[in-house]
Amino acid sequence: MSGIIKQEKETTLYLGPQHPGITGNMMIELKVTGDTVQRGKTHVGYLHRGFEKLMEERLWMQCFPIVCRICVPEPDPNEENLARAIEEIEGREVPERAQYIRVLVLELSRLTAYLLWMGGQAGSAGLYTMPQWTVGDRDYILDLFEELTGGRVYHMYIWAGGVRRDLPEGFKGRVLKVMDYLEERLLEYDRLLFENAIFQKRAIGVGVIDKEKAMEWGVVGPPLRGCGIAHDVRRDEPYEVYDKLEWEVISKDGGDVCSRAYVRRKEIDQSISMVRQVLDKMPSGPVYNPGPNPLKWKLPVGDSYVRTESARGEFGYYVVSDGSLRPRRVHVRGPAYVHGVSLLERMLPGMNIADVSFIMNSLGTCPPEIER
Amino acid sequence: MSDELKQEQEIARIIHTTFKTAEVDIKRAGRLSIKLRSDLLPPFISYLRDYLQFKHLVLISCVDWIEDNEFELVYHVYSYEKKIHVMIKVRIDRENPKMQTILPFWDHAGTYEREIHEMNGVFFEGNPDLGEFILEDWDNIPPMRRDFNTVKYVNEVYEWRKGREDKQDVRETISKEYGEIIPDFDSEEK
Amino acid sequence: MGKIKGTLLPFSALKYLGKKPHTVRYPLETKKIADRYRGFHYNDIDECIGCGTCSTICQNDAIDMIKIDGIESKKGDSGLRPRVDNGRCCWCALCIEMCPTGSLSLTDKFILTSSNPDDYLLVPGVDNPEAKDNISFVKDNDITLLNFNRVPMRELEGSERIKSFAEVVLGYVQEEARQEAIRCIDCALCVTACPAHMHIPEYIAAIADADDKLALKYIYDNNPLPEMCGKVCTRQCETVCAMAHKGDAIAIRWLKRYATEQFPDPSIVLEPKISDPNGKTVGIIGGGPAGLSAGYFLALRGFDVTIYEALPKMGGMTFAGIPKYRFPEDSLDKQIDYMKKIGVKMINNIRVGKDISFAEIKEKYNAIFMGIGFHVPYTIGLDGENLNGSIQAIDFLREINIGNKVDVGKKVVVIGGGNVAIDAARVARRIGAKVTILYRRRVEDMPADWEEIEGAEDEGVNIITQGIPLEIIGKNGKVKTIKYGMAEMIPDPKGGRPRPKLIEGDEHILEVDTIIGAIGQEADYSFLTEEDTKELEIERGRVVVNEFKQTSMKNVFAGGDNVNRTMDAISAIADGVKAVEGIEKFLLG
Repeated sequence: MSGIIKQEKETTLYLGPQHPGITGNMMIELKVTGDTVQRGKTHVGYLHRGFEKLMEERLWMQCFPIVCRICVPEPDPNEENLARAIEEIEGREVPERAQYIRVLVLELSRLTAYLLWMGGQAGSAGLYTMPQWTVGDRDYILDLFEELTGGRVYHMYIWAGGVRRDLPEGFKGRVLKVMDYLEERLLEYDRLLFENAIFQKRAIGVGVIDKEKAMEWGVVGPPLRGCGIAHDVRRDEPYEVYDKLEWEVISKDGGDVCSRAYVRRKEIDQSISMVRQVLDKMPSGPVYNPGPNPLKWKLPVGDSYVRTESARGEFGYYVVSDGSLRPRRVHVRGPAYVHGVSLLERMLPGMNIADVSFIMNSLGTCPPEIER
Repeated sequence: MSDELKQEQEIARIIHTTFKTAEVDIKRAGRLSIKLRSDLLPPFISYLRDYLQFKHLVLISCVDWIEDNEFELVYHVYSYEKKIHVMIKVRIDRENPKMQTILPFWDHAGTYEREIHEMNGVFFEGNPDLGEFILEDWDNIPPMRRDFNTVKYVNEVYEWRKGREDKQDVRETISKEYGEIIPDFDSEEK
Repeated sequence: MGKIKGTLLPFSALKYLGKKPHTVRYPLETKKIADRYRGFHYNDIDECIGCGTCSTICQNDAIDMIKIDGIESKKGDSGLRPRVDNGRCCWCALCIEMCPTGSLSLTDKFILTSSNPDDYLLVPGVDNPEAKDNISFVKDNDITLLNFNRVPMRELEGSERIKSFAEVVLGYVQEEARQEAIRCIDCALCVTACPAHMHIPEYIAAIADADDKLALKYIYDNNPLPEMCGKVCTRQCETVCAMAHKGDAIAIRWLKRYATEQFPDPSIVLEPKISDPNGKTVGIIGGGPAGLSAGYFLALRGFDVTIYEALPKMGGMTFAGIPKYRFPEDSLDKQIDYMKKIGVKMINNIRVGKDISFAEIKEKYNAIFMGIGFHVPYTIGLDGENLNGSIQAIDFLREINIGNKVDVGKKVVVIGGGNVAIDAARVARRIGAKVTILYRRRVEDMPADWEEIEGAEDEGVNIITQGIPLEIIGKNGKVKTIKYGMAEMIPDPKGGRPRPKLIEGDEHILEVDTIIGAIGQEADYSFLTEEDTKELEIERGRVVVNEFKQTSMKNVFAGGDNVNRTMDAISAIADGVKAVEGIEKFLLG
C-alpha cells in the first residue's frame, strides 16, 4: 500500500464538524500523507452556547435547567455537581434518601452514556448493528427517566437540597426489570462486539496512551483506568453514598482502545450492581431539604470545587459566589476538554485516518463540554 | 479539626516553610485554598508538582473581580496520592492582565490558557498558541468579562421575534391601575 | 480457534431479525406517556391570579404576562395571564414549582409542528382548555420551592397577658423578619388590596436585603402612620397574598411593624424635605388617622396645618378605641412627635361645635379637612338597656385608654362580634372580670380578626355563639341578668351570609354585673348648623365626597370612617392622602 501514494505529498483533511464519531459537532484539521496522519488540530466553536456566561446573569435556581445541557449523553453529573457545589457553599444538608436517589440517577445515566458510547465505538469500527441495539436499549432507561423525572434526555431532576420528586410507586420493580433485561443483552453485546475478532483487531494496540505520561497529560476516567491506573472519583473523594456501596475500581493495563473498552464494559456491570444496591439500601424519608425562596436566594460569599465521576471521567464544577442572587462564576471542567484537544492532538501523529474517530470515541470526546 | 485534617495541616506547614507569603486556608478535608503573589506562581506550581506530588492539573479558572479591578486566576491542582485538591489563587491587574504560562509543567495547561486568553483577555507569556479557540472573528470585548452584557449584545446584534410585544409587567400594570407612584430612592441618592 | 469463533459469533445476531423493536412499532402504537411527563402548559384560568411568578422564574424568557379578553383585574388578581412561547420553553417546569396557587401545570402533550412562529405562542388554559384532562406534571405540595409557612410571631402567654396592658405581640427580630421577607415573591398583588396602595413588594424586598432604612423610606412614602398600621391594620393585603392560596400569607403587617420599630426617630432616616410655605392654611377637624395623614402630607408640601382634636390626645379611634396591649401609647407618641417635627400644629381638648364653631374654622382656613370618625355607639335596642351597668364598648374603651378607672364588677357580657367587641372583652378581662361574648352568628361569621378572636380565647374569654340577647333584667336600677335565646343558621337564598333565626323556647339566663354593647357606631354631626346640613350632603350617616374627597361644600374635604365603608385605619389614611391631592388642586390649581 505504502508504495502507491507518494509519501511526501501532504494533504489537509477536515474531519467534521458533523459528528466524527457521533459525539457532537467538532472538527479536526488533519495533515495527512497517504492515510497516515502527520499532525492534527482540534477546532471547536460549533456548539458554543455560552452557558457559563448565561449563568452569571441568572438566579441560582435558574441555572439548573441550563447545566444539564452541557452534556447531552449524560446530563445528570452536571446537575449533581452544581447542586453539590451550591450545597457546599451554603452548608445545606441533603436527606439521605435524596443522596441514594441521586446515585441511582447518576448510575442510570452512566448506563445510558455507556450504551451510547458502545454504539459509537462499534459504529466507528463499521459494526452498525451495535448502535441500533444500544440506542434501542438505551430507550428502556430513558423510559425510566421519563417516569422518574418527566423528561427523557434532559431531566432537570437534581437540585440544591435534594431531588425534585420521590420515586413513583412501583419504580423499583421496573428498574430491576430493565436491569435484568440489560444483563441478558450484555451477553449478546459481548458476543457481537467485545469477542468479535474484527473489533479486537481494530482495538488492540491502537491509540495507546503512555501510562507514565497519562496523569501528566490530564487523562481521567476510563482512559486513565485503561492505563492500569486505578483512580475513580467515586473512590478517591466519595460523594453522595458511594462509600456505602460495595464496589471495586476497575482498571486494566494496556492503555489502548481495547483496554478502555474493557474498563467501560466492566463498569456497565458495576453500574448495574450499584443500581441494585442503591435500590436495596435506600432508606425512607424526605427527598428535599428546602431552601429559601429562589427569587431571593442569596448564597454566602465563597467558592467550591466539586467533582463527579462521569462516564468520561472527572467532571468538575468550580462555583464562585459573591454573596449576591447570581453566581459570580461557574466554571465547568469536562473531561473531554483535555481528551478532545491536547491529548488528541498529541496522539494524532502516526494514526491511521480510519482510526481517528474510533480513537476519539474511545477517549470519550464530547464537544459540548469543551465549549460549554 | 485535628486528626482529620492532619495531612492538610502538614502540607500547609511545608508550604509555609518555602513560600512565606502564601496564605493557606484549609476549607475542609481534601480542600486547600492558597492565595499567592502572582509572580510566585511558576515556582510554586513546580514545587507543588515535583516536590509535593500534586500531579494532576484539574482546571484553570479566571474570575473577574471587576469591582477590585482584578482578575483572579485559580489553578486547580490535585494529588491522587494525598487525595487533596488545591486551589491556587493569584490576582492580576485587570487593565493589563498578564501571567506567565505553566505550559512547561502540564501539556493541557495550554488549552486552558488559550481559552482564558480568548474569554477574559488575559495574556499568558510564553504560551506559543494563544490563537482563536472557541470564538470566531470576535471583535467585541472578551465575553467572559463582567462588563460584557449579553442582553445588550443580543439586542444590538439580533432581532427579537415579532408577536410578543403585548407582554406586560405585573408590577407596572398594578401600579398604573391603582395610581401608585413607586418612588426611586436609589437614583435620588445619586 | 478463537479467531474463528470470534468471526462467527456476530452471526448469532441474525436471530434478532424477527424481534419486535422497542422504539418503533408497526402498526404504530402510541406509547403510554409517563405520569410526570413535562409537555405543554395548562393553566387553570380561574385559579390563576396573574402574579407573574412563572414569568419571573422562567430562565428562557419564554413566559409573557398578557391581558386576556374577559378577565378583569380585581383585588388579588392582576387580570393578566401567562402566555408561553413554546419556541423558547425548555419544559424545566420551574414555573410549575413556583406557581403559588398551583394553577399552572404541564400536560403530556408535546407534539407541535408549524412553520409559523405565532403557532408556538400558547396561552395555557385559554388556547387549550381541553388539555385539562391531560395534566401530568403538577406542583407537589410537599416538595416546593416556595416556603408556605410563616415565621411564627412571638407573643406573651395568655395567662401572662391578662395581668397587664403590656403589648401582646412581641415583634420580629431582624433574623425573623428577614426570613419572613425572603418568602415574598414580589408579585405586588397585595398592592391591589391595600386602600393606601403602599409599596409593599419594595419594602419587603428591602427588608429581605437587610436594608431597613430603604424599607422605611418606601413605607413612609404614602403612609405617615406606619407604626400604627404595623400593629393594628386590618391588613387586607394579607387576605389577597398570593402565598395565602396554598399556605400562610406573608406577614406584611408584622414586617411593616418590624421596619418602623427599628428606628426610634424616623426623621433621621427619612430626612423629610419640607417645601417652602405656600401661604395657604388648612384646618383639620379630628386628629384620627385620616386627619393626621392629611396633615402630614399637607405640611410637607408647605401648607400651614392645624389639627383640632376633642380628646386629650391625637390618634382618634386608634388612641381612644384600640386597647394599649395592641397599640401602646409610646408608639402613638412617636408618630405624633414626628409629625410635630414636620410642622403640623395640633390642638387637643377642643371640640368643634362646642369650644369653637364650625363657621369660625371655615372662616379661618382656606380649606378644611374633616375626619371626625364614628364615635357614637348604636344602641342594642333591648328592654333594660338604660339600666345602670349597661354600657357601651366605645365609651368603655375610651375611658380606659384615657386613664380613667371603670368598675365592671366580676361578671361581664359583651354583645357583638367585631373587633370592638373583642377589644372590650379582652380589656375587661385585664381589669379582672370574667368575660362572656354573646354573638348572634357563628365564630367564622365574626367580622373581628381571627388573631384577635384566638387571642381572646387564649386569655380565657368565653364565647357564646348563635346567642341572641332578648332582655336585660335589672334589680334596684342595676343590671342583674341577661336573657338570651339560641339561634339556628338559615342559609340565605341569595347567597349572602346565613341569617340567625331564634329557636323558640331555647332560652338561657346569664348572671351579669356589666353588659357592654358593641354592635357598631355612627358619626356625630351635631356640630353642623342647620344651614350646614343643607349644604353638606350626607347619605346614610356618611359624608358624600368625590374622587378627591371633596364634599359638596367646595372648601371642605372629608375622609375616614365618616366617609368610607371599610372603616379602618388604613382606609382613613388613604382618604387623607387622596384629600391632600384634592386640597392641593383646589388651593393651588
